[in-house]
Amino acid sequence: MKRRRFLGFLLTILGFTALGSFVYPLIKFLSPASGKAAAQKVTLKKSEIPAVGEAKEIPLNGTPAILINRPGKGFVALSRVCSHLGCLVEYDRAQNRLICPCHGAFFDLEGKVISGPPPKALTQFPIKVESESILIG
Amino acid sequence: MKYLLPLCIILILPPVASADWKERFEKEFLTRPWAGAQVEKDVCLECHSSEMMKPEARDIPRKWETSWHHQNGISCHNCHGGDPKDVENAMSPQRGYVGIPKNTQVPEFCGKCHRGILKNFLESGHGKALKSSGKGPNCVTCHGSHNVQKATINLINEPLCAKCHSYERVKIMRQALLVTENKMSQIEKGLTELKAQGVYTEEEQKTFFNTQAAFRTLFHTEDVSMVKRRTDEFIHQLNDLQGRNQKTFEELRFRKNFSAFLMLLFTGMGIGFLMFSRSPKKK
Amino acid sequence: MWERIKNWLEIRVGLDELIKTHLTEYRIPKNINILYTLGFVALVAFLIQVVTGFFLMVYYIPYSGTAFRSVQEIMSTVPYGWLFRQIHVVGSSLMLVVVLLHTLAVFSMGSFKKPRELTWVVGTLMFFTTLAFCLSGYLLPWSQLSYWATTIATTLPTALPYAGDLVAGMMKGGEQVSGITLNRFFALHVVLLPLVISILVGLHLFLVRRVGISSPPSGKAAEPERPWTEYRHESHPEGPSFFPDFVLKEMIMVMVFLAVMFFIITFLPTLLLPEEANIPADPFKTPAHIKPEWYFLAPYQMLKIVPNKFLGVTLQLIFLLLFVLWPFLDTREEKDLLKRPYLRLLFFLSLILWIVFTFWGKYS
Repeated sequence: MKRRRFLGFLLTILGFTALGSFVYPLIKFLSPASGKAAAQKVTLKKSEIPAVGEAKEIPLNGTPAILINRPGKGFVALSRVCSHLGCLVEYDRAQNRLICPCHGAFFDLEGKVISGPPPKALTQFPIKVESESILIG
Repeated sequence: MKYLLPLCIILILPPVASADWKERFEKEFLTRPWAGAQVEKDVCLECHSSEMMKPEARDIPRKWETSWHHQNGISCHNCHGGDPKDVENAMSPQRGYVGIPKNTQVPEFCGKCHRGILKNFLESGHGKALKSSGKGPNCVTCHGSHNVQKATINLINEPLCAKCHSYERVKIMRQALLVTENKMSQIEKGLTELKAQGVYTEEEQKTFFNTQAAFRTLFHTEDVSMVKRRTDEFIHQLNDLQGRNQKTFEELRFRKNFSAFLMLLFTGMGIGFLMFSRSPKKK
Repeated sequence: MWERIKNWLEIRVGLDELIKTHLTEYRIPKNINILYTLGFVALVAFLIQVVTGFFLMVYYIPYSGTAFRSVQEIMSTVPYGWLFRQIHVVGSSLMLVVVLLHTLAVFSMGSFKKPRELTWVVGTLMFFTTLAFCLSGYLLPWSQLSYWATTIATTLPTALPYAGDLVAGMMKGGEQVSGITLNRFFALHVVLLPLVISILVGLHLFLVRRVGISSPPSGKAAEPERPWTEYRHESHPEGPSFFPDFVLKEMIMVMVFLAVMFFIITFLPTLLLPEEANIPADPFKTPAHIKPEWYFLAPYQMLKIVPNKFLGVTLQLIFLLLFVLWPFLDTREEKDLLKRPYLRLLFFLSLILWIVFTFWGKYS
């Protein structure tokens, strides 16, 4: 009889431990993400903005990105990380495209793959063009 | 029960009646890779591994099959051009066939894809020697042609380099590269290990590949001082990656401990319930 | 305090009587064995799937462009996301194992016989619904494994004439598995199937309770002869009470289930998540050794080896029909498998065949 009561008590303790071992992770699981969840944005001042046909490399959220001033089509901010294996693409002004130095992939100035091994387009970042600055991200 | 037999017969009759679904099913199901049959047609390989070719030439497809290019889906036409599906135009210049490059044109041949390396190579002593005098190493000298393997630091070795000049300067260069190369193989091993444990490592893999490729591309300039100068920057990036890998390993260890704890808890409760159910109760 | 609450409820719903009828004085057969707990374990497994499934849905995005990434975020960024995902993945296979064991136990003890035919039929429908859950859920992570295993599974129906293409098309929502398939599988997995199985579970439990628990055939407690002309609830006045005796047994088995689940999560975390599960779906690249998940390997292998494909599918459909309607085909009163050599032979033969086909399918 004493053994039964002890076992019952033990089981209750273990049961609550088990419950707690799920409740605590659940609370962490559902809590809003802390602090730096918001993506960092980059603002380019007028003096830093590339001229028509030019491009500027900018780090965005730890990702190397490039802002291109496309002749006749406005600005576009693309990730420089090639979707094939991760090399950083370079801007070819003469041919209006981006080239990956690793395996010869070509991207157009929307980030879409023209030819080569990459499976998908370059990530595009949202930009807001203002009179004196450009906000990227 | 008595309706079962007629029901079975009714179900079996239709196949006797309908005909072409069998072909469609075979096309949709049986000839797919996952049903066992592999469907791949490459005309280049068919001819070049046949009896028609000289024995040395017949060896080429076999060498290519052991290469890193083959493992990544790069086939004959990707480098030599031509049409791999059409035997009539397999070697047609209209389909881009360029044949075997001349010795001095090998860098451009490989540089169709490996553009960054081509640029650095042409700036180097090796590249300049090749272009000016026609004598000098090209890509194939160190990397081979059809049996290209993943590059390692062992491609820089005395028997190979001493064919043309003394190994002294090469040794210095190799030393400069060694630390970075060792770190890179450590990280690569770490990433493989993480992948085997079910972690999705694509972002780290991309950063790693980019750093490794940039570093090795730079090497092709043979500019020891530049390599030494930029080594710090590469080591910094690699240390970062190593740190991230470490953190992931720690997280995996935590997960294992946490679920082991839960397993023991439930085992304990099972034994507890068992003993409780067997213990005598008050009548 | 506790007494006051109980009294409050007693006045309103007659709590004491409920507890007596359904728990403490609900008697079960004297010779009941541990296999009888499997049904409850299956229910608990299902509830675990519902709870973890809901929490996964908080972070999962059912769109082909972002599904894979959302699952990876659950695994790496969301705190303890890995725990809920692993429980859901391992739990789904373990639930099916428990359901299979429960089916085998019920079959081998003849508990499907008169008057429990309806319970069996509802049970087989629950089994199919569970398989549908597994199939629809498998696609949701949108990995190479998901995509191609689903491609195989949704192409199998094309072996049927006329209706085959329509069925396959309706499942896929097009010629190929695509984002459209993902949407409809998600709707199935999260709304329709839970609704269906809840109704079936309710019906199944009601029938089990209403008809009465069957006695195991061995070491037979004498079952009174009954005329089959009117309803009579099968009671066991001599047996132990459901609560707490049998409930304790059920809890032991639930703990065993959970211990096995966490054993797999601790020591074999990649058992059900091979390399292809961590590669985003690529409709243009078939992985080298893709196979359906283990529960579909037997039908898959059978289809591959039977020369006439339609026969292959029909044989399987006939087998399923036999499975569902078995109580109407096997009407002999004898429940004890040991006293029925032919049925025993059939039973073991089918089981061995299924196991052989499963392993063959895996390694072919």
